[in-house]
Amino acid sequence: MSGKGAVWSRVRSRLRAFPERLAACRTEATAYGRCVQASTAPGGRLTKDLCAQEFEALRSCFAAAAKKT
Amino acid sequence: MLQPTWLRLWWRRSPAVGVPAKNLCLRKVASAVSSRGTASPRALNIFDRDLKRKQKNWAARQPEPMKFDYLKEEVGSRIADRVYDITRDFPLALDVGCGRGYIAQHLNKETVGKFFQTDIAEHALKNTLEVEIPTVSVLADEEFLPFRENTFDLVVSSLSLHWVNDLPRALEQIHYVLKPDGVFIGAMFGGDTLYELRCSLQLAETEREGGFSPHVSPFTAVNDLGHLLGRAGFNTLTVDTDEIQVNYPGMFELMEDLQGMGESNCAWNRKALLHRDTMLAAAAVYGEMYRNEDGSVPATYQIYYMIGWKYHDSQARPAERGSATVSFGELGKINDLMSQGKKSQ
Repeated sequence: MSGKGAVWSRVRSRLRAFPERLAACRTEATAYGRCVQASTAPGGRLTKDLCAQEFEALRSCFAAAAKKT
Repeated sequence: MLQPTWLRLWWRRSPAVGVPAKNLCLRKVASAVSSRGTASPRALNIFDRDLKRKQKNWAARQPEPMKFDYLKEEVGSRIADRVYDITRDFPLALDVGCGRGYIAQHLNKETVGKFFQTDIAEHALKNTLEVEIPTVSVLADEEFLPFRENTFDLVVSSLSLHWVNDLPRALEQIHYVLKPDGVFIGAMFGGDTLYELRCSLQLAETEREGGFSPHVSPFTAVNDLGHLLGRAGFNTLTVDTDEIQVNYPGMFELMEDLQGMGESNCAWNRKALLHRDTMLAAAAVYGEMYRNEDGSVPATYQIYYMIGWKYHDSQARPAERGSATVSFGELGKINDLMSQGKKSQ
């Protein structure tokens, strides 16, 4: 938010495209969300990269959606 | 002869050790300001007030500020309802942390004679909404109100006290500027506000990065609010809570709206960076854990409304012990007792 704001507005415009790309990856997002939610059940423990596979699937879908638009 | 040069080197170096010059000046100003008057013994410095002023200025200068006003408008109208509930009119009123003046537009000239609006952001004051009550805009911090004692009949504050560092002191200041038999009506965000966002970010950050840092600022608990108001000297307290749930298409829209409202995080302990991966993960978790049937996600805003009065002899006081004329056991015959009382009058 300093100077002419060129960098900031560029980053913001990229960020504004996130919701529609996320909407294109509904199944992967649901799978990842379910995995994380399952770890919050009693007896589960959330550690780093517990759901790494689901997140990789989500991220590659997201990148593919970015390439398409 | 070595010693004098060594001393000179030491003296030149010490002001700049570890701290850049501009931060030095900031720290000096901050300490001068907090030593003024009587700060609370545990005066905390949680929020960066300078950054909050910049964020509010930025939000007020947006091309369409009314797009993000929905929450503050709603709470402002509910506070105005509470003002109307009090069967009195107030010649002089103060709005602490007014933003663009959300309460004033719901009040009328008969209830409030003159309205003072204060905020830390000058652009918000410049763009205040049109109201029929004569208003005066004052640039002031919530913790350092520039008014004399016993000035105002009514003080209102809507959704700005949750960014105050020293809340006991802010409430004491409000009590100070109130006239005896004056009333303070305030609204603050409560502990459950944005719990969905907080949980999603926490879970996603733990899974992606192995740990998490706070992204949603700490809120006051409802018990503490009562204690704070009592400590500040208010009488006849009323605290009630309300929950407003707003549905958003997703987490990103919620975060954009929060920024547009000027409610971005400004705590000193905030992490400077939120990775895109973490944001994506958090949006996925938010959508899965809290989604409504139609696919939108809810965000909860819990609002505490508080009303406190400044002491005046005319206010009702609890009766003396042992002054009861009727026993509780006769509660069943209360109709007869009341009609007897009316006849004897």
